[in-house]
Amino acid sequence: MKFVANVDFNGGQLRPLDQTDVDTIVKIYQKQTLAGQSTTASTEHAERMITLSVQMAATQRGLMWAMEVDGQMLGMLSLYDWQPTSLKTLMRLDVLPEITQVHQVEALRAGIDYLVKKYHLRNFSFHCLPMGDEAMISIVEQVGFIQQARLRDYRRISQTEFSDILVFNKIIESVSETGHKGESE
Amino acid sequence: MNWNLNTEHYYVRFAHEEDIPNIYALLGSNEVVKNHPKNPMVVEAQAMDEARRMVMQFEAKEAAFWLVEEKSTGKVVARLSLQKFNWVSASAQFRVDVFSDYKTQSVLSELIYAVATLAYEDLSLHRIEWFLLESDHCLVDLAKAFGFNHDGQLMNFLEFEGSWIDYQVFSLLKTDDVWQQAVINQGLPES
Repeated sequence: MKFVANVDFNGGQLRPLDQTDVDTIVKIYQKQTLAGQSTTASTEHAERMITLSVQMAATQRGLMWAMEVDGQMLGMLSLYDWQPTSLKTLMRLDVLPEITQVHQVEALRAGIDYLVKKYHLRNFSFHCLPMGDEAMISIVEQVGFIQQARLRDYRRISQTEFSDILVFNKIIESVSETGHKGESE
Repeated sequence: MNWNLNTEHYYVRFAHEEDIPNIYALLGSNEVVKNHPKNPMVVEAQAMDEARRMVMQFEAKEAAFWLVEEKSTGKVVARLSLQKFNWVSASAQFRVDVFSDYKTQSVLSELIYAVATLAYEDLSLHRIEWFLLESDHCLVDLAKAFGFNHDGQLMNFLEFEGSWIDYQVFSLLKTDDVWQQAVINQGLPES
């Protein structure tokens, strides 16, 4: 059974992760972005992530898409803390330097449109670091996300250090707000 | 580690079997729960279920709940909790259910100081969050008076009776000057 759909966007597509993505996933996760993450991701971690991407989608806890442009995987668009009852989710964008901002914006828009239509999600959020996430902040703002909070020392970045987190939200008040591109199974 | 706290005027203690009527009286009161927001309990069996959940969440290290017993009267006047313990980011969410007569700065300064001291000193937490409704002017004003920082809002956090609820997020860090001053003063501002 297929739990993650293919979703087209202008210039590329979102698709499920598969075993051929291992090397790209390792490349994407070379910088430390999460507490507890080792500085370099390994093949074993990437394989585990692919397995997890299916499990989390099957249980509607999350979802991971590969972002593909010209047949090449250049990033990932993911959902965490997916709460079907509250119709909300926390999103995450991890990309290689080769992908353009335009493609990221298009991919994010298409992903949200799909999630609104398919799962009726209406509350999307991003957590960004105040320093170092400027590119991502620019992208989410172009898609209509608005900063609603700055959570002080919310994320641990070392044994003794913490970083603030900027919370961006996009609330979909009605389905007509989206411009759904359609999915291809 | 002793989870039961003893302040000047209150026993801040874990619940026991005899507390079911106390929990029911507290959480069956609309004035207590309306700002969470939540509907009041309507039968005592709900209090029994709530007591079980309190124990289960504590055993799972997800939360800790205290009932506040007034020393002079023996009356249970509030329930305090630290919920959603995040042991990686060293944070927890504070919550208070309190009868309106006790929803005052002098009472809550005593209670919050006791719980925050345990959180920072015994549990090594770094951040205490307090989610409040904007319409709960009393607690919003008290949070500010105690030195909690308004971090912003979490939009459409949950749905209650057909409406989407926004939470205002307040935080108090162990490293905040206001907390360090509270440690020196042995208490939060009382007025």
